[in-house]
Amino acid sequence: MTPGKKRLNYSYYPGCSLHASGREYDISTRALFKALNVGLKEVPDWFCCGATPAHNVDELLSLSLCAKNLSLAEQVEGDLAVACAACFSRLKTTQHHLKEDEERRKQVETAIAGPAALDKPVKHILEILAREFGLSKLEESVKKPLLGLKVASYYGCLLTRPPEVPELDDCEDPSIMEDILRALGAEPVQWSHRMECCGANFTLSRPGVVLKLSNAILESARRAGADCIMVACPLCHGNLDIRQKEIKDAYGAPDSTLFGNIFGSELQQGASSDQRDLPVFYITQLAALAMGVPSGNLGFESVITDPKPLLREKQLL
Amino acid sequence: MKNKLMHLSNETMNVGFVKKVEALSGSSVRRCFQCGKCSAGCPMSAFMEHPPNRIVRLLQLGQGQRVLAGRSIWYCASCETCTTRCPNKVDLAAIMDALRKLSWDADGPSKESYVQLANRLFIENIRTYGRQYELRLGAAFNMKSGQFLKDLMLGPKLISKGKLKMFHSKNKNIGEIEAIFKRIEEMRKKGEAL
Ligand code: SF4
Ligand code: SF4
Repeated sequence: MTPGKKRLNYSYYPGCSLHASGREYDISTRALFKALNVGLKEVPDWFCCGATPAHNVDELLSLSLCAKNLSLAEQVEGDLAVACAACFSRLKTTQHHLKEDEERRKQVETAIAGPAALDKPVKHILEILAREFGLSKLEESVKKPLLGLKVASYYGCLLTRPPEVPELDDCEDPSIMEDILRALGAEPVQWSHRMECCGANFTLSRPGVVLKLSNAILESARRAGADCIMVACPLCHGNLDIRQKEIKDAYGAPDSTLFGNIFGSELQQGASSDQRDLPVFYITQLAALAMGVPSGNLGFESVITDPKPLLREKQLL
Repeated sequence: MKNKLMHLSNETMNVGFVKKVEALSGSSVRRCFQCGKCSAGCPMSAFMEHPPNRIVRLLQLGQGQRVLAGRSIWYCASCETCTTRCPNKVDLAAIMDALRKLSWDADGPSKESYVQLANRLFIENIRTYGRQYELRLGAAFNMKSGQFLKDLMLGPKLISKGKLKMFHSKNKNIGEIEAIFKRIEEMRKKGEAL
C-alpha cells in the first residue's frame, strides 16, 4: 500500500485492558489514528484473548479463543491493528502455531466450529506507525515536536519474542520505539533494562515479584537520565505506573545493587538516590501530543504518576 | 523431595510423563545440552528452586514429579527469553506451559496455589463475561486467597481514575464462548485432544 495514495484502514482489536485499566491507551490510540487520518474500526463483540493465564493452564483453550477472535476480525476490512503487546503476541502466536501444526489446527477448528483465519495480517501499532504510515511521514505530521524530552523506551518481553512469531523487530536489540521517538522530536536515552521483564501477570498473585523487577527497571531508567518511560503494553504500564509509590516505599534506599558494589563509588554516585517520579507514557500518548492533539483528549487524568509537571516543564502542555 | 538423593531406575523415571510434556509443548527435551543460557537470561530464576535448564535436565531424567512438586513452573513469567536464546531450539516457554497444564489437570501437588487461583479466576471471567472484569478479578482473588485487605488502598484510587469499572456488561455472544469451553471438554473426554 502506498501511503498518500490510498487511505490506510485497519480493523482494531483493543483487548480487555484497553477497555478498563489501560483505557488511556485506547483513548490515545483512537485520537492518534484520527489525527493521522488512518481508519480504525473496532471488531464487533470480540472476546478476551486469554492473555497469559489461558496458555499457562490450557494451550488449546488459548489457541481457540484467539482463533475465534481472528475469525470475528475477518468480518471487518483491513489488517488487524493491535495495541496491547500481550494480545498481539497471543494472536500472532496462534496463527504461527496453527500454520505449523496441522493436528492442532484441526482441534482448534473443531473447538470454534469453523475455520481459523490464519491469513488475516495482525499488526502491532508500532509497526503500523513506523513502517506502514512511515517514519518520514510521521515526522512531517509533527506539529509540536517533543524537544528536550528524554525518554526510555521500554519493550518488555512480548513485542519481539520469540523471534519467529511477532516479526516486529530484532529480538535482542530492537530500535522501532527509538526510531518513532526521534521522528517525534524526542530524545531516546540508552539504557540497560529496556527488555527486562516487569513481572507482568504476577501483579495479582505475587506483587512482591513485580515490585522487585519493576524497581530495577525504574532505577535503570533514572540512572540513564530519562525524564519518563514509554511503553506499548498495558501490563507494563500498570506495573511501572500504578505501583510506583509502593516500589518507592519498598526500595526507598539508594541503589546498592551488586552492580553498584562491584564498580564502586563512581556508579554509586551516578545511581539515582533521588527517587524521582517517572511518568510512564503510552507510545500513542506521546505521538498524539506531538501531532497537536489537545492533552485533554489523551487520558492523562487516568494516570497515577502525574505526567503534567514534566510536560509543563518541557513546555509541551 | 528436593534434598532426597535421586536414584535413577525404571521405577523412578516416569518416561510417560515426559512424553506427554513433549507432545503438549511440541518441543523435545532431549536436544538440551545444558549450556545454561536459558537460566542466565531468565528474569524469574532467582525465585525458582530449579532454574529452567535444571527443569529440562530433570525431565531428561524422567523426574516429572520433582518438577511438579516445586514452585518453578509457577514463577515462570512466560517472557519467552529462554525460548528465544536456546541454541538448540528447545521451546522452554512451551514446556513450562505444558507442565502447568499437567499440574492443573492433576490439581497438583503444586504449592503455588495463589498463581493457580489467579489463573483460574481469570479463565472463569472469560467463561462468564467473555471479557475480563478486573474489579471482580481482584475482589474474588482477595476473598478466595483470604487476603481481604490486599491492595485495598489501590482499589479506590483506580476506580476514581476510571481504571476499574464498577459494573460490567456481558459480551453479546457469550453463548459462543461457552460452546468453545464445552467442545474442548468434550474433545478431551473422547480422547481427541490432550
Ligand atoms: S538454553 Fe537450551 S540447550 Fe541451553 S540449557 Fe537451556 S534448554 Fe538446554
Ligand atoms: S519464559 Fe519463564 S522460564 Fe523462560 S525465561 Fe521467561 S520466566 Fe524464565
